[in-house]
Amino acid sequence: MKTAALFFFTCLLLFSCDQKNEKSKTDITNVTKDDSSISVKREKSINTYSPVDVSPMDISYFPADYPKLKMSNSTTALPKARVIYSRPHLQGRKLFPDVLKYGEPWRLGANEATEIDFYKEVTIQGKKIKAGRYILYCIPEKEKWTIVLNSNIDTWGLHADSSKDIERFIVPINLTTNSFEFFSIVFQPGAGSTDLLMAWDNVEARLPIQF
Amino acid sequence: MKKIIGLLVIFQLFFICLIAQSGLPPVDKSPMDMSYYPGNYPVLKINDKITEPLAARIIYSRPQKSGRPIFGGLVKYGEVWRMGANEATEMEFYKTVHLGNKKITKGRYTVYALVNENSWTFIINKETDTWGSFKYDPKKDVIRTNIPIQKTEGVTESLAMAFEKSVAGFNLIISWENVKATVPFTF
Repeated sequence: MKTAALFFFTCLLLFSCDQKNEKSKTDITNVTKDDSSISVKREKSINTYSPVDVSPMDISYFPADYPKLKMSNSTTALPKARVIYSRPHLQGRKLFPDVLKYGEPWRLGANEATEIDFYKEVTIQGKKIKAGRYILYCIPEKEKWTIVLNSNIDTWGLHADSSKDIERFIVPINLTTNSFEFFSIVFQPGAGSTDLLMAWDNVEARLPIQF
Repeated sequence: MKKIIGLLVIFQLFFICLIAQSGLPPVDKSPMDMSYYPGNYPVLKINDKITEPLAARIIYSRPQKSGRPIFGGLVKYGEVWRMGANEATEMEFYKTVHLGNKKITKGRYTVYALVNENSWTFIINKETDTWGSFKYDPKKDVIRTNIPIQKTEGVTESLAMAFEKSVAGFNLIISWENVKATVPFTF
């Protein structure tokens, strides 16, 4: 009887895990579908004010999900950082060399330049970075990426003006076994710091930040 | 039997680890978007075509109608609506502007609307970096003002916001379902 109960419990857990996975998959497919239906609708629709982007914008806070924490009264402290970026997707392409080329600057996103806000001074690779707003771009190489903080904010991601670079950081990349369809930037706990994780396809770059 | 259970448990743990490890966010159903005034400011900036200084931008998430009745349905009349989805809708002013006879100083704000059938109240509130309108606190309002709405012939599927130039400043246009609201800012 005990064994049967354990078996049942295991199946239930597996089922719930599977469902969770299934859900996120459908979410992604839905969005892709929406994108294409929207681009079809675009011509006739009166929604000429602002068509929906193929690469949707997203926001990541540190602490993660800060607005939710604030809503549920679990924090009264100020947020420490946030990133606003657009999320291109692979759509059957390989990240290298179909989408990006080694040695060529990449805007770490799509559309408007990727923006990072530090609500207070931070330290990255021993360098102090003042509180404020910056844009981010990178120069990907096979084994390392150069992550650049630049002061030319409120711009469109193409043609970064390197004369406005504030600081450049070289970080090693990590190859993952899974491939992720949509480009993602999140803050994750790292070793003695918080990592700004940039992930797409099977490539992960982590920039450790001391808050 | 025990072997099978053992195998199942190992498989299950592996599965949980896989989900936990990725930790990357799925794409939102209501994607975020951003509008600037002057419109397309970032594109103008990289092309050296700026003719007037940056005045405002709005960051909001875009729910879709998906066949649902929106105003008077999903968005109830007489209630404060977050004018978006997920993170609260954020409006930033890069210089002092006016709405009616009230002054709004440079900075970041959260915006909401109290929606009725024939008019809306537009709300600018100073509590930023929050989620939806669940923690909306009228004590932190900077401005509450009535704004005109129009019924449109066509239906807007995804909530849309954009800025347009006006005689004395700029308008924020909010469009969803068959309603178009206009918030007239002046310099």
